[in-house]
Amino acid sequence: MEGIRVLLFGAAADRAGTRETRVPAGEITLRELWPLLTERHPDLSPMRDTLAFAVNGEYARGDARVSPGDEVAVLPPVSGG
Amino acid sequence: MFAIVEEPIDVGALVSAAQRPDCGAISTFVGTTRVDESGGASVEYLEYEAYRPMAERKLEEIGAEIEERWDAREVRIVHRVGRVDPGEASVAIVVAAPRRGPAFEASRYAIERIKEMVPIWKREVWSDGYVWVGSQVGTREPVEE
Repeated sequence: MEGIRVLLFGAAADRAGTRETRVPAGEITLRELWPLLTERHPDLSPMRDTLAFAVNGEYARGDARVSPGDEVAVLPPVSGG
Repeated sequence: MFAIVEEPIDVGALVSAAQRPDCGAISTFVGTTRVDESGGASVEYLEYEAYRPMAERKLEEIGAEIEERWDAREVRIVHRVGRVDPGEASVAIVVAAPRRGPAFEASRYAIERIKEMVPIWKREVWSDGYVWVGSQVGTREPVEE
């Protein structure tokens, strides 16, 4: 199963212990994806309220739908500059 | 030109490339890594990472926002990733405009927008561990200030 590709950055990659993972799922919303992700990487849970998400490289809200083949990114508070 | 790069930023070359006969001002902002100290430890260097394709696109968007708001003829933004040693440039913004007011305002706007929405993260590597800035996650014990 292709699943949904999830990229993790910064502190979220640290917490998850990986920079990339795949969640086996069909078409779902980001909000529904989150528990599937934390099931595999429970240390991510406490970060929930600080995180933003992107779908295929653009910021997306919890009700955004993702399908197998899409790329979801888990984005901690940005700190560039 | 909007880029995420791994090598040191050549600020002089960026400024030269923005010189144009229709502009009377080039405003340059350079963000450099600062060494903080606390609890007897100090920052040894910073390490940046980016969600690269998205970060480059967001830098381009900032350029477009600037051109909508001000009469700026040339905007160049370069952000470095990887290890950046103390005092080195982590970001450079160059805005060329016919007049100095818009050049100053637009370069300030660019750095504020970068800090707000471009997917780049920095980790302070201290002599006794590291901390992700903004997330307060890392291997370093919190220090009582």
